[in-house]
Amino acid sequence: MSSTIWDKLGNIDYRILYALSLILMLIPIIRPIGLPTPVSETVRGFYETIDNLPPGSVVFVSLEGSLSLLDEQEAQYIATLKILFQRDLKVVFYSVTEDGELIYNYLFSVVNPEKYGKKYGIDYVRLGYAPLEERGQAAVALDVRSVYPRDFYGTPLDEIPMMKDIHNWKDVDLLIYYYTSCTNVEFAIRQWVIPYHTKCIVGTLGCCGPMAVPYFPDYIQGILSGSGAGAELEVISGNPGPGAMMNDAKNFGILGLLLFLILGNVSYLGKRFGGESE
Amino acid sequence: MNFWDALGAFVGSFFIISVLSMLWKDNPVFKFGQQAIIGATIAQYVLFNMKNLLNMAIIPISQGKWTYIIPVFLGLLMYTRLSPSYSWLSRYPVSVLVGVGVGVMVPGLLRGQVIGQVQKTIVDITSATTTYDLINAIIILIGVVTAITFFLFTKEHTGVLGVSARIGRIFLMFSLGANWAGEEVWYLTQMIGRLRFIVEKLIKGVILGAA
Repeated sequence: MSSTIWDKLGNIDYRILYALSLILMLIPIIRPIGLPTPVSETVRGFYETIDNLPPGSVVFVSLEGSLSLLDEQEAQYIATLKILFQRDLKVVFYSVTEDGELIYNYLFSVVNPEKYGKKYGIDYVRLGYAPLEERGQAAVALDVRSVYPRDFYGTPLDEIPMMKDIHNWKDVDLLIYYYTSCTNVEFAIRQWVIPYHTKCIVGTLGCCGPMAVPYFPDYIQGILSGSGAGAELEVISGNPGPGAMMNDAKNFGILGLLLFLILGNVSYLGKRFGGESE
Repeated sequence: MNFWDALGAFVGSFFIISVLSMLWKDNPVFKFGQQAIIGATIAQYVLFNMKNLLNMAIIPISQGKWTYIIPVFLGLLMYTRLSPSYSWLSRYPVSVLVGVGVGVMVPGLLRGQVIGQVQKTIVDITSATTTYDLINAIIILIGVVTAITFFLFTKEHTGVLGVSARIGRIFLMFSLGANWAGEEVWYLTQMIGRLRFIVEKLIKGVILGAA
């Protein structure tokens, strides 16, 4: 039985489609294009919440990150760190996944706090990793030392100058909550925002953004969703980073994706309404 | 670029390509890459959790915080699952985890996600200041109500309930579509990130010596 043009269209070798996608995405990686990046309301909220903090404010950064998902959030992390270190803030970093500390190691190699005149123990502290699910976040809010008696390097928190006056939620002016499991935004809301009215901004994957939006702006004042939001944060904060190039490549990749969707649908509709003859 | 950076670029690129080779077909290089990554990840997780156990339990106990023995004991009970005769003991730590988890979660859930969100759905309509906000709030209200009716399974979806459930299904489809689009774009980003690694670290950095 001879195949129709619709069959041929629907049965293009998937490896050809993969190759086409790769070529499309490689173009902006080799030669960045600089497509315009408008800043959304949620990203503006994220930036302005940090920007409006009074000098000396204490910011907690909770990182539930995964190395295998780093590409999606790298631009967010880098831009956020730069914004934090460019201001007079006391920043406490902690991670709730095993990969978190490796991500911090990488981030601090890219955004060196010393270059911004920040000193460890005075301007910022790394608490390290603890397997904090919702219960752990509740414990940190109640008493930081109950979960992190020592910092990442093994120093007791009471021996770190910056931590002497930081004990619980009362001492936290802003929580920056990064997560990769879509419903985990609720941990921050249930354990920080609802009981203590802590200001909270979040960063997550592109696919998790829609699930955080219902909480904006009443519970969370800003959302970064995916690498696109990272690029927007780079634009609004004036800190160029990897987000812009990722955005260009992503736009090209989406063109490929749209092409596949169109081909698949044309094939399906053609087979259904176009008849069997070639 | 020093020797170790160059080696990192080669090793990283090799594993990226080995895993991507699955796109062509299953092969031994893919299997090697996959198993090496799993092995390295498990080793890293074990090390981090041992350090965590040391900081959160062993050191505090050695400093005289004897109450920390209770959670350690409960944790050890989890291992009784390995023995069919004593596996029932693992129910105690599981019960504690579930009990504490629910206790911690429920107050915030009720106040923030149930009462707060229902309230917000209604208040948005009454407090809308522009036509755009009002239309938005009405769409959200219709979406919430009809989507909830879609999940009413104790009554047949006919008449008004049927219409509402069908509208709710359309809203759900929009929602799933948005999530799926986000997921697709996320996959693209992962691919772009790895291509970027190969281009910047290996090709530009090592082969062309640009870095």
